[in-house]
Amino acid sequence: MLLEVRDLHVEFHTREGVAKAVNGVNYSVDAGETLAVLGESGSGKSVTAQAVMGILDMPPGRIPKGEILFQGQDLLTLKEEERRKVRGAKMAMIFQDALSSLNPVLSVGEQLGEMFIVHKGMSKKDARAQAVELMDRVRIPAAKERVGQYPHQFSGGMRQRIMIAMALALEPELIIADEPTTALDVTVQAQVMDLLAELQREYNMGLILITHDLGVVADVADKIAVMYAGRIVEQSPVHEIYKAPAHPYTRGLLDSIPRLDQKGQELYAIKGLPPNLLAIPPGCAFNPRCPMAQDVCRTDVPPLYPVTESPVPRTSACHFWKECLHG
Amino acid sequence: MADFTNDEAAVAAALDVPVQRGEPILQVRNLQKHFPLTQGILFKKQVGAVKAVDGVSFDLYQGETLGIVGESGCGKSTVAKLLMNLERATAGEVFYKGQDITKLSGRALKAVRRNIQMVFQDPYTSLNPRMTVGDIIGETFDIHPEVAPKGDRRRKVQELLDVVGLNPEYINRYPHQFSGGQRQRIGIARGLALNPEIIICDEPVSALDVSVQAQVINLMEKLQDEFNLSYIFIAHDLSIVRHISDRVGVMYLGKLAEIGTDSEIYDHPTHPYTQALLSAVPVPDPQARANRDRIILTGDVPSPANPPSGCRFRTRCWKAQEKCSTEQPVLAIPERFRGLDTLAAHESACHFAEERDVVHSG
Repeated sequence: MLLEVRDLHVEFHTREGVAKAVNGVNYSVDAGETLAVLGESGSGKSVTAQAVMGILDMPPGRIPKGEILFQGQDLLTLKEEERRKVRGAKMAMIFQDALSSLNPVLSVGEQLGEMFIVHKGMSKKDARAQAVELMDRVRIPAAKERVGQYPHQFSGGMRQRIMIAMALALEPELIIADEPTTALDVTVQAQVMDLLAELQREYNMGLILITHDLGVVADVADKIAVMYAGRIVEQSPVHEIYKAPAHPYTRGLLDSIPRLDQKGQELYAIKGLPPNLLAIPPGCAFNPRCPMAQDVCRTDVPPLYPVTESPVPRTSACHFWKECLHG
Repeated sequence: MADFTNDEAAVAAALDVPVQRGEPILQVRNLQKHFPLTQGILFKKQVGAVKAVDGVSFDLYQGETLGIVGESGCGKSTVAKLLMNLERATAGEVFYKGQDITKLSGRALKAVRRNIQMVFQDPYTSLNPRMTVGDIIGETFDIHPEVAPKGDRRRKVQELLDVVGLNPEYINRYPHQFSGGQRQRIGIARGLALNPEIIICDEPVSALDVSVQAQVINLMEKLQDEFNLSYIFIAHDLSIVRHISDRVGVMYLGKLAEIGTDSEIYDHPTHPYTQALLSAVPVPDPQARANRDRIILTGDVPSPANPPSGCRFRTRCWKAQEKCSTEQPVLAIPERFRGLDTLAAHESACHFAEERDVVHSG
């Protein structure tokens, strides 16, 4: 297994109290596999990824419990110096907003080349040549001429390609993409997702795709983890979950999106609001919004029930997953 | 500005006439907005223009929802501002009940704006953080005191909060005490305050989470029935636009590429841009992954300051021929479909219009 996150907890100490952003997350990604982490804002999907990358602000963040095993080694026990060698070289991250993730006063060639100078000790000239090659690989036209240009001279889609090039530079084994296409127009979004999927195949990388878009997930993911209030509420191979969700929250999400291919009736709306992380409801965190909630849901935190064991394990954190799956 | 028809009495009389269901309430004709590009600091010289909106025509019928879709920079938000007369049109007309609102100013314009309201995209920046909800909604009555007499305002605001599904007791709270979805409800309550006939919604749900989006969309549909509203719904999310709209217009680089009923546009698109746009939308169905007809466009949208000659889409179009660079296609029912009893027979601005189903997996 390339990456395995075990019982990860992350909390933030704020003036109002302790915000429990991640409460016992388990997931794994293999080489060549795409895991989609789906959730709304505040569900903990990005915080989990930041903990894996080791870019969480600590303090105010704190990891009281958990393991992050990368190729069998627990990253949380490494010193910052050793961690830095893993970051970039073995795992890399692509962020949502390319314009604010790139340095506006350095040319894209300098920013791409910096990776080779720092990690591989190359000369400036060689690094620049590498930058051109990378830009070619992510299909930026006229790479040789554009390598000296600045981020503002590129369009949104081209900037996101530069972010991808930067992540690929040192041929990492794992890529974490946090909402990589959310800021892009649909036609450009399709171009960028296609490129990402193609490069993943070519390099046999593991990919963690963080998104709120059920459409993007269906398009590229092998398996999916649905997060709510810092927990994974359902984990499943992608085909099964769309056919028959085993958690009422997943079902609610699927029913609340309108369809492109037919005109529907009134949309199903999940009532209420996502919980405040300073005061997560007791029992199942989803219970105040759940149409199936019973007394047990208000008192007992549901464990991850196995829905199917093989060929790929599927789990649901709902006391009534059977009823949900079949109705 | 002598040619402005600002005879208040005439405008007021015209606005009082109710429009029947199914009649056009807003008629837009060849609307244009060009933003000048200037050079120099002291002596500014115009060196060109960004043609944000370049000849858009459509009708909005009483009680319907017209969706406008397009990618960023296509001019859809500028159209919204022109319809409110928040930007002065460079050319063209917007007739509201027979009055050309692009020519109005002063009190006549104020009277029209009472009936055309707007809901904005970002509920975080469109509400003043230093004002209470009661003041934000009640402020509309300071501008149009004829709608609610002074002593009655508090009750009226509470009524509006109730209508949009917020607790009327929240009247003294500030925007930061609400979630994104609740803030958008406040924005909608403000839009409803003056009993308008038309509400222009510019990306009203795109800043919201999926589960909250559905709540707000359902609310907007309920209010439309209750108050007999006509909506112009501007968005980039094609699935949501299909859900809420009766008719849909697709914009590209300041022009309408195609317009028709929701089924005409989504199930029987004839313009290559519409087809590419629809085919690029990720569908929440992993089965469709392999079976759908995907068109991946190359390149980016050209600059509206220097749009391509002829058809604006030709630089990214796989069907483009000589004719497309010389002759601008007009928005009309394509000749080959004219008079035929097919849903492909709707207005499309393409020389080589051809039906292609891209949203249903075959």
